[in-house]
Amino acid sequence: MAVFRAALINELEKLYKKKKVLVAVLLSLAVIVIGQLVIVGVRSGFGLRGTGSVEFPMLVLSVVVNTILPLFTALVAIDSFSGEFTQNSMRITLTRPVSRFKVYTAKITSIVLFIMGALLLLLVFSLLAGFIFNTNSATLDSLGRTVFSYLVSLFPLTVLALAIALLANIFKSGIAVFFVSILAFLVLKVLGLLFSQYSSLFLTTQLEWYNLFLVNSFPLLKILRQFLIMLGSAIMLFTAGFYIFDKKEF
Amino acid sequence: MEKVIEIMNLTKSYGNGRGIYDINLDIFKGDIFGFLGPNGAGKTTAMKIMTGLIRPEHGDVKILGYSVTEEYEKAMAKVGCLIEIAESYHYMSAFDNLKQLARYYPGVDHKRIDEVLELTGMLKFKNEKSKKFSLGMKQRLGLAAAVLSRPQVVILDEPLNGLDVEGMIDIRKMIQHLAEKEQTTFFISSHLIHDVELTCNRIGVIYNGKILNVESTKTILKNYATLENYFVSEVERNGRVSSSAN
Repeated sequence: MAVFRAALINELEKLYKKKKVLVAVLLSLAVIVIGQLVIVGVRSGFGLRGTGSVEFPMLVLSVVVNTILPLFTALVAIDSFSGEFTQNSMRITLTRPVSRFKVYTAKITSIVLFIMGALLLLLVFSLLAGFIFNTNSATLDSLGRTVFSYLVSLFPLTVLALAIALLANIFKSGIAVFFVSILAFLVLKVLGLLFSQYSSLFLTTQLEWYNLFLVNSFPLLKILRQFLIMLGSAIMLFTAGFYIFDKKEF
Repeated sequence: MEKVIEIMNLTKSYGNGRGIYDINLDIFKGDIFGFLGPNGAGKTTAMKIMTGLIRPEHGDVKILGYSVTEEYEKAMAKVGCLIEIAESYHYMSAFDNLKQLARYYPGVDHKRIDEVLELTGMLKFKNEKSKKFSLGMKQRLGLAAAVLSRPQVVILDEPLNGLDVEGMIDIRKMIQHLAEKEQTTFFISSHLIHDVELTCNRIGVIYNGKILNVESTKTILKNYATLENYFVSEVERNGRVSSSAN
């Protein structure tokens, strides 16, 4: 456990020192500020109510979960694997008394913690922006739902991170991984629209699974099915990614 | 004498025909073992298997009684190494690079990091980012990383690569000091015959992936005057067609 903790702290320190954290903070702020300005503009320009104070965070979530959060995930996952493969710096960790399993798990955990940090940051900034500009419609219940929606979005983003980590271990070049990831994302989005009866199988649809929790009838079986599909995908992707990582020669 | 490294029937071949074949070696505590061979002989391949960077096709390596393939963490707990080019994280300073490694070893604190930086002549650059380092400076940082944890076994692949004359002398003295005072075992590969002659107490010659012979430096120098003569003689005796004189 001490060895895994050392590996995890090292991975988090690397993320911090490479300024990925700063980029995430700045991009998140930019999205919130631009989004809020648009809403204020709509309200003062057209006299339309854009969103209430807790609707704004949900609006932000619906946009970022399909755009900048998958991009952040790809950025960090590709850098963590392909970046170190190309710079030969993976050897630095692999010649220490730490197994490849712990190294791989530490890398995935650091990516997941980064995504969780990004989600919390977006939640806090968007709540603040919502309260500052639209103070009249907050309730504890709606606030609770908002926070919960952000938290459950971590799960499909984790599955996405595992998929990109697998690609990063298959392809040599980080750019190839990036393009294949974007292509796969777009293809799955289109397939989800064309074959809507099978859309719950696609990761791109699962990114919006927080909507299932907001429905008044609370579709437990649907939620359970989605959860199990994502869990199964996560296990398969982790195993495949680790298998390839373990066999690599450095 | 206590066996510290046991290499048993180690085999790894590549598609281009190169590799190592059935390597058997025993290294004892306090040895400074020189692994001598020309380019492409298999020195780095053997060392990469010893440090878990590559898996062998057959055979195994045991370090301090633990198998590298099956008990990696235990095998590497008291090992420091430098394989091929010394790597570091370019966006971190020398100190931060060593701090990353220090986390894996209980008992390695900031004082120890400063100590090894001083030992390798890098203390004055401790807060500089390693992307600004010359080859020799990166090599010194790599050597500092290899001895950081006070290892019992140090595996060095071409450790004098890129170093200036003073650097070579300093590192040679450091190796000899650690072997004598702390009974640290060194496994060093090199194609620089003169340095191997000055530093090592036992020499193993590898050629075309096979060990030709293992002998103590004292015996070699008694029988052949120089290590170079011994090496040429071993290689010619084992089937190389022409020497460099032709």
